[in-house]
Amino acid sequence: MTVTEAPRDVLDAAAVDTEPVSPTGLAALVGSGDPRSIGKLYVGTSLLFLLVAGVTGVLVGFEQVDIDQPDNILASDVLAQVVTLHSISALFLVVLPLLLGLALAVVPLQVGASTVAFPRAAAASYWGFLVGAGLMLAGYVANGGPYGGEVEGVGLFVAAFVLLLVALSTAAVCVATTVIALRAPGLSLRNTPLFSWSMLVAGTIWLLTLPVLAGVMVLAYVDLEYGTAEFLGGPGGLYNRIVWVFWQPAVYAFAIPALGIIADIVPVFAQRRLKRHGGAMFLIGAFGVLSFGAWAQVGLSAFDSPDTRPWLFELPWIAVSVAIVLPVLGLLGLWSSTLAAGKVRMASPLLFSLGAGAMLLVGVAAGIATSIEDLDLVLTTWQSAQTYLVLLAALTAGFGGLAFWAPKLYGNLLPENTARLVATLLPIGAFVLAVPYGIAGFLDQPRLLDATETAIAEIDEGGTVETLNRVSFVGGAVVVAAGVLGILAVLGARASRRQGPGDDPWSGHTLEWATSSPPPVGNFATLPEITSEAPLYDARHGALRDTTEASA
Amino acid sequence: MADTTAAAAATSTGTTEPGLEVFTGAPAPEPTRPRVLLVGTAFAAGAAAVAVCGLVALYAQVRTQSLASEGSWLPEETVIPLTPGNFGLLSLSMSLITAAWAVYALRNDDRIHAWLAVAVTIVFGLSFVTDTAYLWQQSGLVVGEQPQAVLIYTITGAHVAMAAVGMLYLLVMGFRSLGGQLTGRAAEGMEAAALFWYVTVAVYAVVWYTIYVTK
Repeated sequence: MTVTEAPRDVLDAAAVDTEPVSPTGLAALVGSGDPRSIGKLYVGTSLLFLLVAGVTGVLVGFEQVDIDQPDNILASDVLAQVVTLHSISALFLVVLPLLLGLALAVVPLQVGASTVAFPRAAAASYWGFLVGAGLMLAGYVANGGPYGGEVEGVGLFVAAFVLLLVALSTAAVCVATTVIALRAPGLSLRNTPLFSWSMLVAGTIWLLTLPVLAGVMVLAYVDLEYGTAEFLGGPGGLYNRIVWVFWQPAVYAFAIPALGIIADIVPVFAQRRLKRHGGAMFLIGAFGVLSFGAWAQVGLSAFDSPDTRPWLFELPWIAVSVAIVLPVLGLLGLWSSTLAAGKVRMASPLLFSLGAGAMLLVGVAAGIATSIEDLDLVLTTWQSAQTYLVLLAALTAGFGGLAFWAPKLYGNLLPENTARLVATLLPIGAFVLAVPYGIAGFLDQPRLLDATETAIAEIDEGGTVETLNRVSFVGGAVVVAAGVLGILAVLGARASRRQGPGDDPWSGHTLEWATSSPPPVGNFATLPEITSEAPLYDARHGALRDTTEASA
Repeated sequence: MADTTAAAAATSTGTTEPGLEVFTGAPAPEPTRPRVLLVGTAFAAGAAAVAVCGLVALYAQVRTQSLASEGSWLPEETVIPLTPGNFGLLSLSMSLITAAWAVYALRNDDRIHAWLAVAVTIVFGLSFVTDTAYLWQQSGLVVGEQPQAVLIYTITGAHVAMAAVGMLYLLVMGFRSLGGQLTGRAAEGMEAAALFWYVTVAVYAVVWYTIYVTK
């Protein structure tokens, strides 16, 4: 046997040649498996789509300013498309990806993990989401969408929607798995930070909800492309198979992370521990369980059955609609007592949290009225107003999360004055949008998609309803303006060249504040001792106590 | 000289007896956690299961309404024979044992038997796919003519797709075990693939009862 050995200098040269070269530019972006980069991509794209949801929302609101004059600015077929684009983009292109993006960036830090579970799957989920969202919008352009006139366009919309749902579900798997399987040594599930816990609850509920919608969409696609289209029914039949996710109880599932964000922000700005961490976990879990709504699909019937909503006003639906207020009330109690017992430091994240909490409470409380059959509020703008409040609560909490964790995402804080303005305008705009719209629903104004001339003629208080719609339109415009300001604030933090705020500008309680801002690759060099849900609070106050004892 | 060096090394690493080194400076081992691939697979399998079960619920709902309003569900010329469904269920039931065998063999570092078990599981899976294809051929359901066909083809097709993913998962893990990437101490990949397969079989039990038995 002959053994040959290459000269040392040849080996060294070969080693230099084979050293991996880190990609830069677009290649680095596309090939990145870094959860922070993927999270920021999700957040950035969702804010871009916020403009789509905002513009379509303004068009929809303007259309209702004069209810006696249908087709104000949009023909009825276009109006139906714009309404569905507004609602679908608000939930699936804005709220869900914003919260998932925030979770992908923050949850690994909170649980002390070096990265997210399945980073390549997380990256694939983002690119799948982007392609799905692009194709879905292309489907609308090709006269597709739920009320589309072109079969190919509708087919493209449905297929893209399925891709979008699969992508979002994949991201949910990555986040939920991170919380369960990648927690740092010493961090028990009981001590998990509440945003991470809420993402575990939300991810689980979303994974029990979104695949059901995806399955129904596959069925719709088969029916549309190859079948008799009898399952879909007439115009709008496709949307009837989507709309249940915007109704209670399913819509509440998309606000679960909002509870976690608020629960993490409040104690930091109260400068004390959250009272009853375990209780807060239970309440968030209870809210999640009650918000599981895949069983309550609307439009289940086919073949023109008159019984189109068999689950409405049955005991389970009423019970869930009432019971879900309790966890929100319980959490509000915990947050209020924490704030009352602490030394409150007012800043934009807390302002966002207070606004989001108030919106969510009113949103879920409105659901009690919806469940009372005699009030006849289903399919009126009351229901739309409720959905607005819940989704805007989730959006506001998402902005609050961005304001809170901006140092970890962008290395800088959001401009505080702009952030405070957004935190003030968003809730005000949301209430001005939703309250008059809800009252108009109380006065029998049908939701826009059902606003036939007959239905409008049945509204007794035509003038009052129009006035309410105008006020509501102003509120919607304020929300859109606040959203644009919010986008500018995030861009400001991203582009800022000023000195960063330091690793822990808020004196945070949880592990993400134990590393640099932005975090290095691998997130942590060392981790502090973890014996509770607030290890940094422990370390800070333990050190303070030690110093006091030493000086005494 | 050699003894001095060995003594110095023993001091720095905490050697207590020849051949046994105790690294006193090393961090404590991480506590046992639920494993990442297994947990992720559990979530993914659950999501796939609810997608198919959601369709089954829709089938049951539409069928009930049709029976209430029209007194019938399937067209008269339609035949859904029980035999292929039963054979499919039998095949998948047996594949539960072989999938568990694959995990057991790998845990015992018996790669050859692990691979054999994976191969037999896949054969059972392919047998199930053949049974379903036979149903499609025999049923007389035409998607373009009967609305019931849309539901039945979508449900059975979705489940076949789930089974295909499960077989691919097992195949990949089988190859990885043959290649030495999965061992008795690191059999998580095979356990995860088997878990996905178990869920696939459980979902088939629901499909079998709804489509083949109650029709």
